[in-house]
Amino acid sequence: MNKLKVIIILMTVIFLSFGLFSYSWGAGEEEILVGNIQDMSAGTAIWGQNDTNGILLAAEEINALGGILGKKIRVITYDTKGDPTEAINAYNRLVDLDKVVAVLGPPTSNVGIPLAPIAERKKVPVIGDFMDERATTHSGGVWNFMFLTEPSCSEQAEIAASYALKELKLSKFAVIYNKANSYSVKMAIPFMAYVIKHGGEILIAETYLFGDTEFRAQCTKIKNASPEAVFVPGYVKDNALIAKQLRGIGVDVPIIGNNSWYVPLIELAGPAANNTYFPNNMATDIPRFQEFMKLYEKRFGMEPLIHACMGYDNMNILAEAIKKAGKLDPIAIKDAIEQTDHVGVTGRIKFNPQTHRPDRMPLVMLKIENEEFVTLGEYLPPLD
Amino acid sequence: MCRESCLYPFILRRGVKAGLLLRNVKKELEVFLQQLLNGLSCGGVYALMAVGFGLIYNVLKFSNFSHGGVMLIGCYTAYFAFKIFHSSLFLTLLFGAISGGLCAVIFEKLAIIPLRKRNAPKIYFFVNSINGGLLSEYLIVATVGVFFHTFPDFLGTTNINIGQISFSKLNLTMLIISLITLFGLMWYLYKTKSGRAIRAVACDINTASLMGVDVNRVISLTFFVSGLLGGLCGVFLGINYTIYPQLGKLIVKGWMASVIGGLGSLLGPVVGGILLGVLETFLTAYIGSSFTPILEFIILLMFLLIRPQGIAGVIVEEKA
Amino acid sequence: MSFYQGVIIIVVINVIAVIGTFLLTGMTGLLSFGQASFMALGAYISGMLAVKFNIPFLLAILLAIIASVFVGFIIALPVVKLRRDYFALTTFAFGEFLKAVLNLSVTITGGATGLAGIPYKVNIWIALISLIIVILLVRNFRNSKFGKECLAIRDDELAARSCGIDSSRKKMTVFLFSVAITSFAGCLYGFYTCYIDPSMFGWTKSSELVIMVFFGGLNSLTGVIIGTTFLTLSLEILRFTGAWRMFIYVLIMIILIDFRPQGVFANWELEWTTFEKLLHVPLSIIKKEK
Repeated sequence: MNKLKVIIILMTVIFLSFGLFSYSWGAGEEEILVGNIQDMSAGTAIWGQNDTNGILLAAEEINALGGILGKKIRVITYDTKGDPTEAINAYNRLVDLDKVVAVLGPPTSNVGIPLAPIAERKKVPVIGDFMDERATTHSGGVWNFMFLTEPSCSEQAEIAASYALKELKLSKFAVIYNKANSYSVKMAIPFMAYVIKHGGEILIAETYLFGDTEFRAQCTKIKNASPEAVFVPGYVKDNALIAKQLRGIGVDVPIIGNNSWYVPLIELAGPAANNTYFPNNMATDIPRFQEFMKLYEKRFGMEPLIHACMGYDNMNILAEAIKKAGKLDPIAIKDAIEQTDHVGVTGRIKFNPQTHRPDRMPLVMLKIENEEFVTLGEYLPPLD
Repeated sequence: MCRESCLYPFILRRGVKAGLLLRNVKKELEVFLQQLLNGLSCGGVYALMAVGFGLIYNVLKFSNFSHGGVMLIGCYTAYFAFKIFHSSLFLTLLFGAISGGLCAVIFEKLAIIPLRKRNAPKIYFFVNSINGGLLSEYLIVATVGVFFHTFPDFLGTTNINIGQISFSKLNLTMLIISLITLFGLMWYLYKTKSGRAIRAVACDINTASLMGVDVNRVISLTFFVSGLLGGLCGVFLGINYTIYPQLGKLIVKGWMASVIGGLGSLLGPVVGGILLGVLETFLTAYIGSSFTPILEFIILLMFLLIRPQGIAGVIVEEKA
Repeated sequence: MSFYQGVIIIVVINVIAVIGTFLLTGMTGLLSFGQASFMALGAYISGMLAVKFNIPFLLAILLAIIASVFVGFIIALPVVKLRRDYFALTTFAFGEFLKAVLNLSVTITGGATGLAGIPYKVNIWIALISLIIVILLVRNFRNSKFGKECLAIRDDELAARSCGIDSSRKKMTVFLFSVAITSFAGCLYGFYTCYIDPSMFGWTKSSELVIMVFFGGLNSLTGVIIGTTFLTLSLEILRFTGAWRMFIYVLIMIILIDFRPQGVFANWELEWTTFEKLLHVPLSIIKKEK
């Protein structure tokens, strides 16, 4: 028995020592190293994997055309499990050991926010989709090395609210959101504030928590409040369940969603998803998107989620910035990123230098009808 | 004349008010019944979870958190069976149950038998079971991937409506299947030889082995049976909700249900599960979802202080 | 602060939190499933004091620890006299309760959106010094008369009480001490990541801490330290396995527990005597009086 134990311990040690030496000591001569920090195995892994796919697709395209500055891009991906400490370790590893020139970041703010002060110290830029404003700005100004490439969560909520009020002429809303989730809370609160400020009414605001799968109690209360529409800003899985349970209980009014109502929501919710309006990062009926979708499906065998489009655009923005900077210096690249004016699959991205977020970037309103996505058009709330 | 003309509107007004009151009461009653039905169907699933969980507890005296992993694997294999063979509802359930059973036995071989051989303290079984649950989750993530799937609507989305109350055919079917399964389990435990063996080992593991019961085989059998229940429950969860790798984490509800309901008998987990489902639904309905976990746990604690063996329980042993 | 320093700081924070849990379970047999919630208390209180009132680092930590101990006292009061598993359930319930309260209090603590902007104060020296202080405190505590009485309680409470040891008071004291240490770990965590939200402190984190204690060895302080270091490091080291990382990590844990169900280090402690034997030199001149 003792010998067996020794052998097992020895094997474990050897196995682990593989890990100690498995990083790249900086790039080879012909390579540009780009870091990618995503959740690949926990609750938001579906986003992280898609984001990574989009990034890889873009990198492959660029490499096929000769790379940037004569070198090929190599993407190094680390899994964070959605945990901020893992993300911090991953970022440090990418910057200190792998020596990447920039990092493409996750679409979750609970990872984005802690990365901001560290990026500021280590001066390697991060381009991501962390919608919480605190990931790109703080009370004293902007986090110089963080960039958000889509509208922030309050902007998105206001787009949805304004559309519902002005275009759909609805005024009495019920809201059901995930109180234990920052993404959901940060959309529900601005939505409700905007509606009230512009003459609408919030009849009832129900909450649920992470991991909940039963919403019928809340749905019954919503049904009894008789709203004209229900705002449901959650993760795609919760949105699908809520849609099914709302319709199952007999609530047929339109649902207003957030950008987590795109693929794979129809697959998950079926006919319950019909009669939903939501802001999406990209229009599905323009040729630019159709081409991207074809390429993505050919490469990965499935439909792209919005995060795939965002990853794709982020990689392209980074590539352009590297080309503009002309050298592999993270600070020069950061300055070049600030000058970005890029038209990607998710629209035109141009950063406001004071916030590192795009100003007044429109989102595309989509409707789900007959279990299909119908593009209604770009929308921005009127300035008031 | 004047009195009569004043009387009629008076009676009319009173009548209308009474009518409105009755209508309000009726509406409140309907809402109450609807929430009750919601709670019952939710509780039915919890009960099924708690029974499988409780089976292992009774025999090995530890809280088996890998039950969540068994549910997960049962759900996923059933899904794949469905995708490949396009099986009907019952076949899919059967497939899920059997794969759940096998998964539980594999877990036993991997994480329980080595501990039993070394006479480990109970707490290590518990620790290893948590790890076992996590192992299945990560296995799914590494192999199948992290995307969400759903079962199609097996019985259509038709609801049965009585007045303003609606519940789906699917939920009713699942409730009936759960009841049949529970009766089947009761018959098995009380009327068959191997069932009696399980009960004997649950009673006193050492005496049972002295009486000639092959304790190791019985324990493997228990795991298989508990796995059957777990796999079935997993498929139910997948049908009711979505199929995703973190499905196993719902076992916490099963654990709470078995604490409330008490262990040591078959009735305890069932009662606990249904109570928990109904309680959760009513708390969410009348107080709001934010306060529900707080109140749930306060009630859980009160149960422990006032009636530690749970509502219908017999054993007062340590649960962790 | 390079990558290695970052990893070491995380290891240190984990080790301190686990030592807190170890103190409780190893010395009284009480199992606490809400340790993560004490980390949350420490992190949130010290974080809020620093962010909203600009209270200096050390003072904020001190106040947070005092507050957490106070809360711990209130929870434990009704249950410390009861059985082990009630205590576990109570602490578990408290953990979820705290998480729910944090999520509710959006305006004060930021709720689910988290508390950002905590100043960065924990560099590797502060972490290592904290670790050494905690280790020394716990080691001396365990070796003192008080500590030995607690071991008696753990092994057989009835016998200990018949010898005149007031078990409830001792259990409470150890619990409060462990709360202090765990919430200290939480404070360090907050001042390192500079952002905290309630989802980081759920029952999964608590169960991770408990598992690490049992993995390291219930009776061995060094075992717990080495075990936790090993587990936290291997998480980072195993990155090269890609998608299978977590699976392999958990599998290693299961296999090691299978082979050593008393914890990998069981009763072994790193003592001065070990060094004596290694160096063949009597170190009794520097050895502390036991």
